[in-house]
Amino acid sequence: MPEDKKAETKEAAAKKQLSRRDFLVTGGTVVAVDALIATTPAKAVAETAVTPSPEAAGPTYPASEGYLVYDSKKCAGCTTCMLGCSLVHYGVQNLSLARIQIMQDSFGKFPNDVKMAPCRQCKAPVCVQSCPTGAAFVDTANGNVRRIDSQKCIGCKTCIKMCPQQPHRPVWVVIDGKGKSSKCDLCLDTPYWNEKGGPGGKQACVETCPMMAIKFVAQMPDQEETEGYDVNLRNDHWLNLGLVDNSTVIPKKNPVWKVGGGEQQ
Amino acid sequence: MKGGYTGKILRVNLTTKAIGTIDTEKYEEFGGGHGIGSAVFFDLVGDQLPFEAFDPRNLIIMMASPFSGTFMPGSGRCEVQGLGPMLYPIEWFGHSNFGGRFTAQLKFAGWDGIVVEGASDEPVWINIVNDKVTIESAKGIWGMDTWDTQEDISRRVIPSLKYGEWAELAENCHTTQMPAVVCCGPAGENKSRLGCLLHGPGSQAALCGFGGVFGSKKLKAISAIGSKSVPIADPKAFMDARLWFRQFQWNVDNPREAERFGVGGPYSLISGRPSGGNVLNRDIPLTPARAAACASCPRGCRMRLATGDSNESVCAGTMVINVNGSVKFTRQGNDLMQKFGLGHWQLMPLLGYVQALYKEGVLGKGRPIDTNLPLDQSGTFAYAEALLRQIALREGIGNDLAEGCARFAEKIGRYKQDVNSGLLGLVYYGTANHYDPAIEAEWGFGSLLGERDLMLHMMSNYPIHWMAWSGDPYLTAEECAKLYTDAMEPYQGDPFMVDHSEGPTGIYSDSKVKQVAWIKHYEKFWIGAGGFCGWRWPMCITNNTADRRGPTPRAEEKFWNAVCGKNLKFADYMEIGHKIYTLDRSIWVLQGRHRDMEKYPDFIYDRPTMGSDMTMYIDGKWKYDTGKGRKLDRAKVEDFKTRFYKFEGYNPENGYPTRATLEKMNLKKVADALQSKGRLG
Repeated sequence: MPEDKKAETKEAAAKKQLSRRDFLVTGGTVVAVDALIATTPAKAVAETAVTPSPEAAGPTYPASEGYLVYDSKKCAGCTTCMLGCSLVHYGVQNLSLARIQIMQDSFGKFPNDVKMAPCRQCKAPVCVQSCPTGAAFVDTANGNVRRIDSQKCIGCKTCIKMCPQQPHRPVWVVIDGKGKSSKCDLCLDTPYWNEKGGPGGKQACVETCPMMAIKFVAQMPDQEETEGYDVNLRNDHWLNLGLVDNSTVIPKKNPVWKVGGGEQQ
Repeated sequence: MKGGYTGKILRVNLTTKAIGTIDTEKYEEFGGGHGIGSAVFFDLVGDQLPFEAFDPRNLIIMMASPFSGTFMPGSGRCEVQGLGPMLYPIEWFGHSNFGGRFTAQLKFAGWDGIVVEGASDEPVWINIVNDKVTIESAKGIWGMDTWDTQEDISRRVIPSLKYGEWAELAENCHTTQMPAVVCCGPAGENKSRLGCLLHGPGSQAALCGFGGVFGSKKLKAISAIGSKSVPIADPKAFMDARLWFRQFQWNVDNPREAERFGVGGPYSLISGRPSGGNVLNRDIPLTPARAAACASCPRGCRMRLATGDSNESVCAGTMVINVNGSVKFTRQGNDLMQKFGLGHWQLMPLLGYVQALYKEGVLGKGRPIDTNLPLDQSGTFAYAEALLRQIALREGIGNDLAEGCARFAEKIGRYKQDVNSGLLGLVYYGTANHYDPAIEAEWGFGSLLGERDLMLHMMSNYPIHWMAWSGDPYLTAEECAKLYTDAMEPYQGDPFMVDHSEGPTGIYSDSKVKQVAWIKHYEKFWIGAGGFCGWRWPMCITNNTADRRGPTPRAEEKFWNAVCGKNLKFADYMEIGHKIYTLDRSIWVLQGRHRDMEKYPDFIYDRPTMGSDMTMYIDGKWKYDTGKGRKLDRAKVEDFKTRFYKFEGYNPENGYPTRATLEKMNLKKVADALQSKGRLG
């Protein structure tokens, strides 16, 4: 990590405090994010350390101190988050290098026309469990983020094959002619960004998303729910754009069409 | 080249089936996109002009920009260039562009653009997967509508393609993205001059008739998919710039003055808010939908609906076919237009003209212009379907209508009469009347001194006219004039550039000359070479900041310098725009352009204007006024043109660029070409 990223500024420290409280602005009011998530099918699970389920017997890993939740109904499919991700990590813009993947079918029907796939920072990280060299590891010095050390990665693709998610979250990249795995590190190591990342810091996808459809949270989303990370981040301002997910929803401000003309009164 | 470019342009000859490359660096002085396209066109076929648009010598040039494939906001357009068969009476070297994901995928595949030459004997499509480029048979695809074509080709490109999963394009090359396909529909296959290019369900290159040129080359589609990188000269500066730009975006969670700008009316199109471009989802109950963006666009003006119809269509794409009383049928009617590959903008005046002739008793079953179209069922889906089908397939009267408005009117012997009377509202080389040239003079002059309708709403039209039209402008007329023109480097400080009165500082003034020049230079460099969206750029003023200043001109140079590794000022890039405009103009001159052709039809001069809310300086005060009842003055328009030509370095007698101007721009070979034809200014 570059030296300038190691020093935690006052601003970053303040942000860290704020992010741990995890406030979201919704409809002009401020609510704690765990309360918001609790309204979704996926309940928030507040755990500081977890034990893998019996069928996934193995070592115990401390829970990550950060997660990316998202709202796939709010995403506009612009892929800005993907390009931000590849830029801060690699200094180029490349969808295939992005550690968050946004997929869309232009001919599809809302809401199934977009799929968002950031890394889940799993409670029981199969990528870490299965890595034969220890390249995939839990970074206990940095908020327990599940990471991949490219220096140790031998390119066996085990983490890619074992990842239970579709699409798989570890991303295959070619560095100096050698294929290696990489994955979301919550922007801990971003040599091409003048900001501190990781838990308590900033994430490129969150910062660049124009629809504010990606959110950093400290609480672990429900691991059992397939859609546990796909939450509702829309408020009345969104509905007032006429963008509803249900025809029975009537925005408070109907999108009427009227014109006037002339000087401001 | 430090960043932004991949370094090579794909060159495909459909006659010989040769596939080659052009070094982008050779053309870097033209910026990218439109600038490079014009230079390549001149170099490859400039010495053979004039020839016709359906001649195999015509080129289809589809250029990306240094910004394509990056997250530069609102820069995902693909610029299409070539001789445009829709344009009239001469098929000018024209341009049209479309949004979506095509240029991004083209860049990720490693290409800065595509140049298609010649014509194939058999229907083909071009398959671009990273560096691998093949010309494939279109057997089984030719005849398909545009939507089926894209789906079919996507499966052919990646047989294992499964939405939502990784696919392997080649060894070590992976993507989760769908191939980006642009194609013509049946209309283009049948060489309709109304034929558009379509990408996705609703992203059209609608003007100029490039779908017909695809058809004339037996080229059904081009597909691009890639897994490579777009290099960025200064990644940190680029990231900082992108985050700096957020202040100008619509804040979706907490918009500034939401009560004022966040609901319907003109602000829904100009405030920068998501969606709003699809005009067919405003009535309760609303159809569930998302805001859908082109690649890297922070606005997302389009929608994708739960019903899957009118996806990604905006504005004219959602309102040309109006089926009375049924939003559902209207959406489906417009989708039918997209599937046939008919350009929406020129379809609009044609449909109106057919109705006018029907009402006049001239056109209809058993009438002088005989047709079996069910004109008595106008406003029904059955009528829309019959009309669109006949035009696209050249059935019955559709064979003549497929020639476009101007040539159809000419064929029935009414062009001069109906255009001059305004019954057929064609104003700019066969393209339709749009905003009133008698009030929004910069729109009129910007079109007249180009090759087709300007179609650039952010050139004072949205920011000023629509703001005033809302009845609740966020700036007084005086504030607006000052702030807007403050951004217009290098001519900043002259508020009269946006004076739309007919007074001495108004629409015929030297200030207006500067504004029109600014528009043409911005159009050619930032919109054309930069691939900017005309619905987003320029942003001279905005409702999204406290001081109402937009990102123009700071953003443009900030982003370009970060991506390309340059250290130029906004004004330097505008001068490149001047150079590109001069090159385009030279090509038009080689085709036969003369200042005498740059005239409005009679009705524009003779008919009192309906008026249009704009900033005007009247009796020593700024105000919003409509100018209703005014008439455009022929002599003053001609005098304006004379001063414009001088300002740009062209001979005012004929409008031809001069040798001095061309050589100053490093365009000596263009001057030589004009001189060889006796058309040097």
